[in-house]
Amino acid sequence: MDKRFIPAGVSRCSTGRFLLWLAPWAAMLLFGLYCAGLCLVKGLNQTHMNNRFAFGLWIFLDLTVIALGAGAFFTGFLLYILKRKELRAVINSAVAMGLMCYGGAMAVLGVDVGQPLRAWFTFWYPNVHSMLTEVTFCISCYLTVLLIEYVPIVLKNRKLRQVPSFLVFEHELHKLVYVFAGVGTFLSFFHQGSLGGLYGVLRGRPFAFREELGIWPSTFFLFILSAAAVGPSFILLTTWLVEKIARKRLVRPQVLQSLGRISGLLLAAYVLLKTVDTLIWLGRTTPRSGFLPAQYYAWRPFGVWILFAEIALFLVPMVILLLPKLRARAGWLVSAAAMACCGVAVNRFVLTIQTLALPTLSFDRFLQYLPSWQETGTFLAVLASAVLVYSISFRYFELFPEEGDLRRELLRAPVTEPALAGK
Amino acid sequence: MLPWNYGLHWSIGTAVFLGAFYTVLVIVVTTVISAAVRSRRVLRDGDADAVRWNSDFYALPARDRACRHELTGEVAQRECPNGFDCRKCDTHRMFLDRRTASTPGGKSYEGFGMTFPLDRLYHRGHTWVRRERNGTVTIGLDDFARHLVGRPDALDLPRKGERLRLNDTAWRMRKRNIDLRVVSPIAGIVLETDGPDGEWYLRVRPEQPDLRHLLEGFEVQPWVAREMERIQAALSAWGQAPEPGNNGQPDIAAVGADCPTACWEAVCGAMFLRP
Repeated sequence: MDKRFIPAGVSRCSTGRFLLWLAPWAAMLLFGLYCAGLCLVKGLNQTHMNNRFAFGLWIFLDLTVIALGAGAFFTGFLLYILKRKELRAVINSAVAMGLMCYGGAMAVLGVDVGQPLRAWFTFWYPNVHSMLTEVTFCISCYLTVLLIEYVPIVLKNRKLRQVPSFLVFEHELHKLVYVFAGVGTFLSFFHQGSLGGLYGVLRGRPFAFREELGIWPSTFFLFILSAAAVGPSFILLTTWLVEKIARKRLVRPQVLQSLGRISGLLLAAYVLLKTVDTLIWLGRTTPRSGFLPAQYYAWRPFGVWILFAEIALFLVPMVILLLPKLRARAGWLVSAAAMACCGVAVNRFVLTIQTLALPTLSFDRFLQYLPSWQETGTFLAVLASAVLVYSISFRYFELFPEEGDLRRELLRAPVTEPALAGK
Repeated sequence: MLPWNYGLHWSIGTAVFLGAFYTVLVIVVTTVISAAVRSRRVLRDGDADAVRWNSDFYALPARDRACRHELTGEVAQRECPNGFDCRKCDTHRMFLDRRTASTPGGKSYEGFGMTFPLDRLYHRGHTWVRRERNGTVTIGLDDFARHLVGRPDALDLPRKGERLRLNDTAWRMRKRNIDLRVVSPIAGIVLETDGPDGEWYLRVRPEQPDLRHLLEGFEVQPWVAREMERIQAALSAWGQAPEPGNNGQPDIAAVGADCPTACWEAVCGAMFLRP
């Protein structure tokens, strides 16, 4: 039915099967929209957040997907600025992933602000001393950039490109894509950093507070580096997942290995800096705040295990991704990428949920927070919308430009040339 | 600066922060506008088809963009960087200078159950061009394309007086409810049209006498062999294989009849250089 919209040279499942795949995600999205609607109409009393525990599941989700979505800007940076041409095979998918991640983050922020009708205040009455303002500005701008980068992917659709103006606009826009790659890199550096800085400047929260380098706390730089390190791993992991779900070869193994190697190198730099930062935090920053490091981990369930889990989830993938022999094996490569993604999620969880849960004053108490079903539903809506949009993009747009070539190469049969003679 | 915002106090920090933000916005908006303006110019100049060819050409697998000198074995491996327009290719000129003779080996080349007369020149999109005595040229489909498509169900030929551009759409055919676009092998003005029953489809007054970009003589044989390889690869990508004909060679004519529509469309797209 929709075959005229499916890219040439690739095969996709039947329309019925595709709709069957979409149905549960669409149901999840509807449920999530209902939950988000409740929060918007009735207010944030629908959540389990309060004035004391103001950052919950949504902020954890925001920070995590923005870190993972860094794969989009970093892949663009590597391809268009550093000319790593092999990454052309995943750039469209990376842009789509980035769009899902940042779109989801913005949508959740739209619910999270509590006063959605006043959300525009941040643009009109900016508090230029707030890192949150920088984050808002940069994320809004970068989402716009991602949307613009996504336009050529849509316009390259087999049917749409038959319209001359779409074809030409796509061509011209694509020629200028390096500008967007540069702008995206600039914006991403700042908002990834500012997201880290948000917690690093919390002097009243010694667990999160870090000493400054220049005007920024160390978390500013660590967030940038961790996002850049994990972004390629996320693209690697999602590409592998899509390959498994679609049961198709989408990229050459060398592309995934290249992503893994880049991720491994950056993880090594991150682990080194994070180690130095943690030692300074444990040995100097924390005692100066009047705390013993052990006090942070005295509260269950956030025992010292979470610190070691975070270390392991960065250290182990770093080792795997840096060793060519392990990296060459798909199982190790994908496991390492998955661990790195989990590592960044744990890191963001620690800086948001654990930070807020820990008591800081003598009369304070340890706070337990579990998201309400409305919060969880809204979270699921982001997940569902990402799967829906990505599935539709995968079916109708050329997310993996080498897919057709690989299909041909895999099945290419040698041809026998007969004895030829001119007459 | 911002109406109704009475609390914004300007400082160096404010100027740097808002300045950087608005600079980014200006860059993004200017870039999009620039792309729109350039697109408008391209459309106004009628170059949309050139853009389409450029896009289609680079959408072809690297192996399908092989230089003609790779096909003939003059170079081990080389991708064409010019959209199969050898007239502006210095490397092509260099190879021509090295050739001792480019004369065809006979009146025609016969292989794989097909005949390719060598009194004409061939475009990689499976059209041929024959110079006529009155200075015009005739354009037709080669035997490979005729075997593949058979008799089209419908034809959309250009009108008399219409201008053809190199690598634009010369004409369209419809077969099995699929539109096929045939790439124009030359630029020129259409003088006359015929069709599948005649020998040729178009009679054209060429804009330029230089037809160096077309394959000739001994180049035809290795090119056809490569095309056979390409069609088998395109078919096998859909789990299909051409049936052997009476001569034991793959029967191209059976492809159109046997393989599923999606496969056939993809195969035609690949062979007519419209992926």
